[in-house]
Amino acid sequence: MATVTTELNKETLLGLYRKMQIIRQCEEQLAKSHQRGLVHGACHTYVGEEAIATGVCAHLRQEDVVFSTHRGHGHALAKGLHPQELIAELYGRETGCSQGRGGSMHLFKPEIGMMGTSGIVGPCILQACGGGYSFKIMKTDNVAIAFFGDGAVNNGAFHEGMNMASIWNLPVLLVCENNQFATEVAFNYSSGIPDVGRRAENYGIPGFEVDGNDVLEIHRIAGEAVERARSGGGATLIECKTYRTRAHAEGMGDFTYRTRKDVEEWKTRCPIQRLADRIVEDGAASEDELQGTADEVKQLIAESHKFAEASDYPSGESAATHVYFENESPQRKQGNEPSLALQASGNRETTYVAATLEALDHEMARNDNIFVMGEGIGARGGNFTTTLGLYDKYGADRLCDTPICERGFVGLGCGAAMTGARPVIDFMFIDFINDAFGEMINQIAKMQYMSSSRLKMPILLRGCVGIGHSAATHHSGSYHSVYSHIPGLRVIMPSTPYDAKGLITHALRCNDPVLMLEHRELMSIKGPVPEESYEIPFGQASVVREGTDATIVALALMRHHAEKAAEMLAAEGVSIEIIDPRTVSPLDTETILQSVAKTGRLLVIDEAFGPCSVASEIAAQVADAGFDDLDAPIKRLNGVFTPTPYSPTLEKAIVPQVEDVVHAIRALLNE
Amino acid sequence: MTEIVVPRLGWSMDEGTFGEWLKKDGEWVKSGDMLFVLEGEKAAQEIESFDEGVLHIPSGAPKPGDTVLVGQLLAFLLEKGETPPTEVVHQEQQVAEEKQDEASALAGPALRRLARELGVQLSDVKGTGPKGRVTEADIRNSATKCATGSASVGPTSTTTHFPKKRTAITPRARRIARELGVDSSQLSGTGRNGRVRERDIRAALQRNGNKITAGRLLEVPKIRRTIATRMLASVQQTAPVTLTTKVDATGLVQLRNEFKTASEGSAPSYNDMLVKLVAEALPQCNLLNACWRDDGIYVYDQVNIAVAVDTPIGLLAPVINNVQYLSLREVADKSRELVEQVRNRKLTDDQLIGGTFTISNLGMYDIDHFTPIINLPQTAILGVGRIVREPAVVDDEIVPRDMMGLSLTFDHRVVDGAPAAKWLQQLSRMIESPSSWLSN
Repeated sequence: MATVTTELNKETLLGLYRKMQIIRQCEEQLAKSHQRGLVHGACHTYVGEEAIATGVCAHLRQEDVVFSTHRGHGHALAKGLHPQELIAELYGRETGCSQGRGGSMHLFKPEIGMMGTSGIVGPCILQACGGGYSFKIMKTDNVAIAFFGDGAVNNGAFHEGMNMASIWNLPVLLVCENNQFATEVAFNYSSGIPDVGRRAENYGIPGFEVDGNDVLEIHRIAGEAVERARSGGGATLIECKTYRTRAHAEGMGDFTYRTRKDVEEWKTRCPIQRLADRIVEDGAASEDELQGTADEVKQLIAESHKFAEASDYPSGESAATHVYFENESPQRKQGNEPSLALQASGNRETTYVAATLEALDHEMARNDNIFVMGEGIGARGGNFTTTLGLYDKYGADRLCDTPICERGFVGLGCGAAMTGARPVIDFMFIDFINDAFGEMINQIAKMQYMSSSRLKMPILLRGCVGIGHSAATHHSGSYHSVYSHIPGLRVIMPSTPYDAKGLITHALRCNDPVLMLEHRELMSIKGPVPEESYEIPFGQASVVREGTDATIVALALMRHHAEKAAEMLAAEGVSIEIIDPRTVSPLDTETILQSVAKTGRLLVIDEAFGPCSVASEIAAQVADAGFDDLDAPIKRLNGVFTPTPYSPTLEKAIVPQVEDVVHAIRALLNE
Repeated sequence: MTEIVVPRLGWSMDEGTFGEWLKKDGEWVKSGDMLFVLEGEKAAQEIESFDEGVLHIPSGAPKPGDTVLVGQLLAFLLEKGETPPTEVVHQEQQVAEEKQDEASALAGPALRRLARELGVQLSDVKGTGPKGRVTEADIRNSATKCATGSASVGPTSTTTHFPKKRTAITPRARRIARELGVDSSQLSGTGRNGRVRERDIRAALQRNGNKITAGRLLEVPKIRRTIATRMLASVQQTAPVTLTTKVDATGLVQLRNEFKTASEGSAPSYNDMLVKLVAEALPQCNLLNACWRDDGIYVYDQVNIAVAVDTPIGLLAPVINNVQYLSLREVADKSRELVEQVRNRKLTDDQLIGGTFTISNLGMYDIDHFTPIINLPQTAILGVGRIVREPAVVDDEIVPRDMMGLSLTFDHRVVDGAPAAKWLQQLSRMIESPSSWLSN
């Protein structure tokens, strides 16, 4: 082993030593501060594991990206975060690396490639794959690193990530810090085999099992892996066997699941002391020199603590800023023509899908960073021909067929969006998105907020929704209500070819994560679509039909039902106004309120279930802001609260039909 | 620990205005002490404490001028050394609880709607159905009781509860009615369950010739609303007839001048003299000192004369009780005291109830005759006109006399025209020769 040190010069050795000292002393300061109440939330320290982050990150450039876990202080410091920003973040101050929005488990410093730590175990693996995919798309030789504990390797994200890293030959390092306990559950209990590194072989990538307390060995293995990734050799799994010598989190009991003896024994294998001994033994530096470094770090940490303690708390007024990259309000933007006029002016007809395809093609041509992922969207051109012909034009990397691992490629999309690419995730049927619910809610929706908009999330997730053609319950869901409940996501539901092209174009140019839901019964409808490119900003409802007796707010297919019903009612002398919100998050309540002010009556039609829905939200907002305009109770017409049945007779019974709309309006007028 | 809650002052009272505390937070309150001032429908009233203890006014307690609900918690009386409760039930919760009370009455939605329409408080209805369930009959009975006021019995309980027919109206219709100055309360709606909708307001406007006269809407204070309700109820529920006559009041004027000379200023007013004369006359037609009830005519034993007084906040009619036992001087003292209380807004609800006959005087405005409206549940009201010197024929000679107009409105349900006219004639004779009735 002595030969290892001789390969490293004194500067490198002292650098590793200093970095480990910074991590250790910083953690000890935080543990102390936690007890004093300066740290407000959880505090997971990295004490005992310093060698891993230090050894790996020593090879990284600023542009290389690190995705990490709840035990991420060490990774952030090793990647170059100044201790004062870490300490200030845990103290909840404005000067913290996440400006007080994150705390111990959500450390963001994208400027130096620290792409975030996460309170959820597993996603960092997928996000690192996304970083790797970005670098592939953007043709750089940067690498992406995922640090994760042994807890992550029995999670689906590990499997999906390893597989994707392998099949797409991604420039990633997957670094498993096996400290033998996932929170307090022992690894030898959780895993069928005691080692992680050897699992790599099953995925077709190199895997290593390393002494995680030996910084020099880690440094060597990681160095090779980083070099392999940069040079196109693909991913590497490195398992570092180590031990945390403090509790899972500060203040938690530690000896119910392990013994004092074990902990004391592991303390004697301290990675910092081990390196110090080696350096002195090899004569690379004296004990005094090392002591000098330790003292200098002590000073640094003391000053960092002082800085953090003296920093201001962020103002409460800023608590809801950065939820979206651009604050796209539902107010009408100037210069945006009423859609009715433009729609009528179009003289060329295309189908709904063709309109979106045209827009996607146009945007892919002007933006090389756009890539599409999904099942069968490559050479096949998509189940609904959403990508027809694009594979031949833009190639396999940008039209990337996926294994059936929704969580995996949504998590990858998240990482890719964070690192500069613009992924389009094509779900075919949106029901499949629910396998990626956590990635949507906990990761994609929150990244901009937690990073104070220093990260952008330009990702478009699209899929078909809606009941029809006996698709049965796993290919017919409507989930816009669920997702519009989540701050940070945009949810759009175009109902015409014209709207579809304008909205998808805007989605492909905006910096927020967008969920675009395309109703399967609308995919092949035709309508006028201008040939030139145009955007429809989010949060602008369209007044589909003007009327005076009642307002119908209808989404997607229901908008077309509403139009048919309005036509029938017109024959009876009833004048209906139809509003299509087009986007449900943001929701243009202003246009709805204006219409209700005119008509005094509101019927909201939505195929999705009634409880806690967009329809309830619209009703609630109008009942509040439009109360004095209401001449009748607000009515909702929703799909029946049941999973979608298969048989055509059952299927028809649960979706609002045109005649149901007519009945509902007649009843509303009699209120 | 004793809870201090907002008492119900009259039985149609649902809410009032909190006046002020008469005891300080932390002060020892004896049973019988006046604790706080509460403004009811008619006047402010000092509320007595029936318990003793240290007054604890919680931080969320109502402030002077706040609207308070009957039953709402105001404060606590604590025993010595007792710690105040940490949690205070706030007004909102009280409201919620009150609503829940109503909701917890066993009645289906259809019956709830009926109760609403008839203005019946469900919580006041005793259910006669299985398990105490409220039946339609219960609600209708309760409504009838309210409407006829039969629940108010006895000489002192003269409050009448009038049905509040609540019209269901959409928010938009209410807004538009307000904007267009249309009174929606009298409209019947075309919406479901008779709900008034925008079109009903516009139709009403159309019927009125589509004319919108410029103006502004005044907020109606509680007292105005009470007067309105009572006046409307009177003309709707009684069969009023007004008799007018002219009486020679020269003797009355002379007598008053004598009193004036004798008493140096504090002489009884004409009104005081008339109050006394009416009280003396009433036993001659006791049906005019009575009230109509479903089960019969209730003839009062006492003669309690209510005197209509114009006040800045509206018409009030404080009562002088047992006038038949009072001397003219006592009547004058009592009436001065009442006028003083009216002026200082110190009148209590007690002083406004219990009247058996009312006198209203508009003589100071040179009115000769008018048609007074009966003060329910009484049977009659005497309107007094001005005293004016006129040529009169006495013993075939034209001589100047002090003449006074009288207008008696009575409820024809209770008494017929002839006996009422006869009584008015008797009263006139007494006015003409007042001295034997009005020894000061």
